[in-house]
Amino acid sequence: MRTHLLPAAAALLAALTPTAHAVFRDEVGHIDYHHLLLGLPQRETTFLHRPRRADRASLLYTLSDVGVVGAVNPAAGRCCGGRVVRDLEVMEMTESGPGRKDVLVLFEEVQQTVLRRLNAEDGSVVWEFREVTRDVPLQVSTNVEKVFVVSLKGVAGAYNLKVSVLDTLTGRRVDEMVIGTKADVHGREDVMFVGANSAAPVVAWTDSSRQTLWVNVLGTKTRQEFPLPEDTVAVEIHAPHLVQSQPHFLVHSRTATGHRGEVFHVDLKTNVISKAYSLPLLRGPGSFSTSSDGANVYFTRITEDEVILLSSQSHGVLARWPLKAGDSKAVAVHGVSEVIKKSGHEDSYAVRAAAVTDTDDWILIRNGEVAWTRPEGMTGGVAATFAEIPESEDLARSLEAEAHSNPLQAYIHRVKRHINDLQYLPAWIDSIPIRIMSSIRGTDAVSTTGKLVRDSFGFHKLAILATKRGMLYGLDVANNGRIVWSKRAFEIPKGSKWDVKGIQVHDSTGQITILGANNDFVVLKGDTGEIIEAKGPSGEATTQSTALVDTYSGKQLIRIGRDGKIGELPVYQAPRQTVVTRGADGEVKGVVFVANGTSSYESVSWIFTPPQGQRIVHIASRPAHDAVASIGRVLGDRTVKYKYLNPNTLVIAAVDDSTRALTVYLLDTVSGQILSSSKYDGVDLTKPIECAMAENWFVCTFFGQYTLRDNAAQSLKGYQIVVSDLYESDEPNNRGPLGDADTFSSLDPVDVPTGGVTRPAVVSQSYILSAPVSALQVTQTRQGITSRQVLAYLPESHGIVGLPRVVLEPRRPVGRDPTPAEAEEGLIKYHPALEIDPKSVVTHERDVLGVEKIITAPAIVESTSLVFAYGVDVFGTRVAPSFLFDILGKGFNKVALVGTVVALFAGVLMLAPVVRRKQINLRWRAPM
Amino acid sequence: MHLTSLLLPTLLALLPTPTLSKHHHAPHTTTTITLRVPALPPHLPNPSLLPPSTRATLTTLGAALSAPLSTANTFVFRNVSRGSYLVDVHCLTQAFAPLRLDVVVLDVDAERGEEKLGVQAWETYRVSVLSIFKNPIILLSMVSMALFFGMPKLVENMDPEMRAEWEERQKENPMNAFMGAASGGNSNPMGNFDMAAFLAGSSNNNKAEEGNGGRAKVEGKKKR
Repeated sequence: MRTHLLPAAAALLAALTPTAHAVFRDEVGHIDYHHLLLGLPQRETTFLHRPRRADRASLLYTLSDVGVVGAVNPAAGRCCGGRVVRDLEVMEMTESGPGRKDVLVLFEEVQQTVLRRLNAEDGSVVWEFREVTRDVPLQVSTNVEKVFVVSLKGVAGAYNLKVSVLDTLTGRRVDEMVIGTKADVHGREDVMFVGANSAAPVVAWTDSSRQTLWVNVLGTKTRQEFPLPEDTVAVEIHAPHLVQSQPHFLVHSRTATGHRGEVFHVDLKTNVISKAYSLPLLRGPGSFSTSSDGANVYFTRITEDEVILLSSQSHGVLARWPLKAGDSKAVAVHGVSEVIKKSGHEDSYAVRAAAVTDTDDWILIRNGEVAWTRPEGMTGGVAATFAEIPESEDLARSLEAEAHSNPLQAYIHRVKRHINDLQYLPAWIDSIPIRIMSSIRGTDAVSTTGKLVRDSFGFHKLAILATKRGMLYGLDVANNGRIVWSKRAFEIPKGSKWDVKGIQVHDSTGQITILGANNDFVVLKGDTGEIIEAKGPSGEATTQSTALVDTYSGKQLIRIGRDGKIGELPVYQAPRQTVVTRGADGEVKGVVFVANGTSSYESVSWIFTPPQGQRIVHIASRPAHDAVASIGRVLGDRTVKYKYLNPNTLVIAAVDDSTRALTVYLLDTVSGQILSSSKYDGVDLTKPIECAMAENWFVCTFFGQYTLRDNAAQSLKGYQIVVSDLYESDEPNNRGPLGDADTFSSLDPVDVPTGGVTRPAVVSQSYILSAPVSALQVTQTRQGITSRQVLAYLPESHGIVGLPRVVLEPRRPVGRDPTPAEAEEGLIKYHPALEIDPKSVVTHERDVLGVEKIITAPAIVESTSLVFAYGVDVFGTRVAPSFLFDILGKGFNKVALVGTVVALFAGVLMLAPVVRRKQINLRWRAPM
Repeated sequence: MHLTSLLLPTLLALLPTPTLSKHHHAPHTTTTITLRVPALPPHLPNPSLLPPSTRATLTTLGAALSAPLSTANTFVFRNVSRGSYLVDVHCLTQAFAPLRLDVVVLDVDAERGEEKLGVQAWETYRVSVLSIFKNPIILLSMVSMALFFGMPKLVENMDPEMRAEWEERQKENPMNAFMGAASGGNSNPMGNFDMAAFLAGSSNNNKAEEGNGGRAKVEGKKKR
């Protein structure tokens, strides 16, 4: 890849600019957007609770399915805080003494069930209960005086329910009982409910065919049997979570077409469960939730079109509101509710219910009206891409029609089209003042029609996000990340995830293709989310990965099957380059396609097997759009170091578990030849190891701990980032063995005495980072003139940092100050520690949780790169690593400029007649 | 967004206070380490205003411990075993310098089979005050400062003869002569430039040749 050296000066200029604030205060919320999300609330870990007893307002707390604990203000729908938790089994509160509530935590260790009571104030262990069994611990529960540990005893498929009763104060086992004699519990999912914190906690389970329900009041040895309605597919139990509430519970059974509820009462003295009443079967899906107000227990039923409030005492409907869900049809799957009995009126109630809908939204319904909607389904993103907003298809089609018809018809068609267009003229004229005002004020003209239109800077793009729950979202990145559309691609069963392997945008048609691991695919329209074609996931994973390859029929996303097998492809669909796949044992293979008649078959051209004991942990390649503005770097003395710009390169990070060594290989993907390798000792393999590659350089980050080779007294510990530059030769003005050749082949090494392959000259340097980084990505700009930044997520401080390439420069002089020539080049003295400057954090003070991946895309203006990060939260921004050199900033005073021009023009207009008159007078007046 | 960086000397503000604790089940002795963030005006007048996401990590090969900021502005690490750790404080608004923390055995209680653990902490790399004098800009500015303050003193202390000689030489300096002439203002070639005449299209040279027209214009102007 050899291009001209013309823009070298521009690149140098760009590289020289210093680094400063990543984001200015007035840009916050303008160029960036952040969807502060929690994840989909889980049924058993969501509740409304007053944080302080004196407060009247309660908050909505949840532990979501992605492990985020958070609270939401139900009035505003704003998030109060979030935190990722892991390895948490069950939490229960138990009262001990006045005012203090301790926490019971159940852990599952290897063949051990551990229950700890933690002090609520400082988290110290009050007591610990440990049992070495093969049982499956399920849940912990408590009534006022005892603690119950519920676990499954037996072998898989035939369990019995075992309850251990413990003393609250000491944690000693008081009693243990096995409920039921037949091993009738099939698995963990058959146990529907373990009540807690109520006067009579119950445990309920069903058989696997959902025909019978067994209920046991914890602390007793008997179980009671109830038949379930026919065709039941799922059962849920709803019970109050307050000790002072009446011990009533509701059994919610779902059939394929409808749902019904049955209310049961527990007699506290005899522990006998009796059925109180049953609620009618209603068509369509629905949800129940409980709310207790002192001793009273209320059930809120949300159906497709109604919110119904019931008391646990009788089947009479207390209140009923029609559900106004706006334009979207929300179907509540599960929820929580809070019932307030209005004082003064006899039978007047207010209900607010937070419900999770089938489109993965979290909505708050206040007396039947949707107060807010949170797109919690955007968490758990698995793949995302940027897509151009498609040009108006009608215009393209009519222009095409005109081109193909005879001139007269085309002319008539065109005149008709223009007359038709006149109807938009008044609206366009109306919008002129708004556009002018917004241009003067520096605000974006908000499209009133809600139509997606491209802009001249290229900031208006769509970000398409696919989540593990099978949802697809389209976000307008220039409009504060507004959700343009959301669509469910597939119903993903609970417990499994949609494993998206590849996503491709066809910019010509505006269509997006998404390939999943289980032989599934979706083709949809980018601007509306309309699904054109889809095939659901099959049972087994067939796809290892996908690759975007050049074929004779344009760019294609092809599937790579398990063990790296692709199979036969028609000639016009076969990739023209080498495809790199992973083999069955983790080796890396290069595969070429050989044409045989009308089809082509794959043929392995090379295999890279890492040495014995090493396993590959990360592979990085150059991004698909990797514009290189200059083939060389002009040094301070006007000589040029030529970059090694081989597009067919790959960085492989392999670790050796026995020696704790990390080896980074640079591979030529055409020949499979190792171009360079470097080894790092003392690498912590449990911490993330990642690489990223762009242009003629790559970075790798890892945690290392070793003593320096040249100074054994000095040891080193910390997160490191190693940057390596590749040049054609060590000396400047030398293009290495290839010289000025226009072409080169990896398979045809030049005949030089030192060896067969042209190897790049590698310059490396390592830096110690003050914080771990993950999800490395390099910014992309249109021409590649702008200097680059390495974007990385900071998992500890929940931010995204942009490390400038000028700082991550392997040629920084070590141990001395830069010479004037080096300073001119922009090199600064090497310092091993690289502080993460809060000013270079592009997320500034936003708390962006759990970013898994960052994607970048170029805008039309050269200075700017679009950034989109997903994982738990969704965050997007624009970065300008060399500043906005081609756009006027918001601080540019357009009013002053326009005002000056207008004032000068007015002055000229006023003075022109005066001057003219004076000159004429001068000519005509006789000298005296 | 106003972010102050505490990049340099705030690091030993984190004071480790080791307390010994013996874990029930772990075979080896562990300790609890408490790190405190004190108020550090002007950068950090009130550590309670640090964002709640602030946390500290103890990292070493094969282990990573993390502790959130408590309400008492401390980070508490429990069950820390022997070894050398890297302490990092992760904060969105402030930068803290890293700290090296060694948990070492002070002495062994042979009877009870316990080890007494102690904690040592220091900066990960030391910044010498002398190193700033290596900077050429600092050196240059110091030389010019010395000249600025030292020169008048030096002149004052000269004996009268030498001083007279020195002042004489100052006068002879070609630079001074040039500057003195410039400020004299008697020989400025642009001094008598007639702007009105220039604008009227006439100049000193062709005034005479041109005849009446030019002069008439100038005079007419003057008369009004």
